[in-house]
Amino acid sequence: MRSPSLPIGPISPAAPGPLYQQIVEAVTREVASGRLPPGRPLPSLRTLAEELQVSLITVKRAYEELERAGVIYRRQGLGTFVAENSADAVRRAQQGLAREAMRHAVALGRQGGLADAELTRLLEEALGNKRGDKR
Amino acid sequence: MTAPAIELDGVQKRWGDFTLGPLMLAVPRGAIYALIGPNGAGKTTTLDLLMGMGEPDGGHIRMLGSELPRDEIEIKRRTAYVSPDTGYQAWSTVGRAIDFVRGFYPDWDDAHCARLLKEFGLKREEKISALSFGARTKLSLVMALSREAELLLLDEPTIGLDAGARHQLFAELLAFMQDEKRTILISSHQLTDVERFADHCAIIDKGKLLIAGRMDELVGRFSQVDVRLASDPAGLAGVRVLEREGDRARLLVDREAAQPLAAIDAEVINEVPMTLEELFLALVQK
Repeated sequence: MRSPSLPIGPISPAAPGPLYQQIVEAVTREVASGRLPPGRPLPSLRTLAEELQVSLITVKRAYEELERAGVIYRRQGLGTFVAENSADAVRRAQQGLAREAMRHAVALGRQGGLADAELTRLLEEALGNKRGDKR
Repeated sequence: MTAPAIELDGVQKRWGDFTLGPLMLAVPRGAIYALIGPNGAGKTTTLDLLMGMGEPDGGHIRMLGSELPRDEIEIKRRTAYVSPDTGYQAWSTVGRAIDFVRGFYPDWDDAHCARLLKEFGLKREEKISALSFGARTKLSLVMALSREAELLLLDEPTIGLDAGARHQLFAELLAFMQDEKRTILISSHQLTDVERFADHCAIIDKGKLLIAGRMDELVGRFSQVDVRLASDPAGLAGVRVLEREGDRARLLVDREAAQPLAAIDAEVINEVPMTLEELFLALVQK
């Protein structure tokens, strides 16, 4: 089966997060949506590096994270594939990304001297809970 | 509003098969303005016209409120220029070359020149023939920056400079800009530097102006959008297909001109901002 590389990306130094993380997010997004179904081969490290115009190290790091999370797996000599039961893994990967983003948000809030209650209110607001909008 | 530092009004120049323009361009006073484009786009031709090297075949050039070619002497008195040709060997040493050049300019600042030489690691007694390409570029920068010019034209000043020297160059340019009456027009291929330091930017290709504006607005206007397509996006205003693979496509979208992607039943999967370099590559793509 063809290894699609276009769905992985676009990535840009202008977008948030390091490039390897943008690759992790792109693959996770495609797997979560089912557009990259279980068993589908991913592009080789070299193909994707060439496609995205990034170093091999960057792609390797992204694939290693995705493998550790269980979203993809590697077979020596065969290549890299989307994992069979990837739903949980995708959940975990997304959870990791969300946790990172929340830590960042909390750090920003604390820099600005926001109290925990205020941060909680902002989270409620982001979640779309109307209750959070009121003071 | 004060008049622009440089105004190109329908400027045209033919050079064999190559035609520059007609160019409409206004460089505001107090700005660092970057002129970027692939090799052979017409950047040097444009700067040469501003320096009175050759006359345009059509259109008008106004600089610092004066008219070219009528007021060429007055304009040159207030304009400093760094060219990619750094042939100063005839003067044998750095010091002699500087002493020769300074005689032409009443606005020459000796103390500033001495400081710049030190800053760029050049010594008066150094033989010009023994200088590296980068060091010669530094020498021509010292010569341009030692004057109290109002307008600085820099043609590819970053060629041959290492990261440290490029940093010094931009630090000097920002120091030059402390006087808000001053203006810099710079052509460069160092797009990461240009995006960081220039206030305005114009992209030219094959002699034509592709786009010009404030750097932040220019870069913010465009994004790369990954979509799933039901129909062909060709011909959709403000949208260019960068890549396509089955029902997936990567689009360059100009938010100012773009029709909603919903018009072609496109499902937006991801939208990513772009650096100036990425925008440049997407716009000058064949």
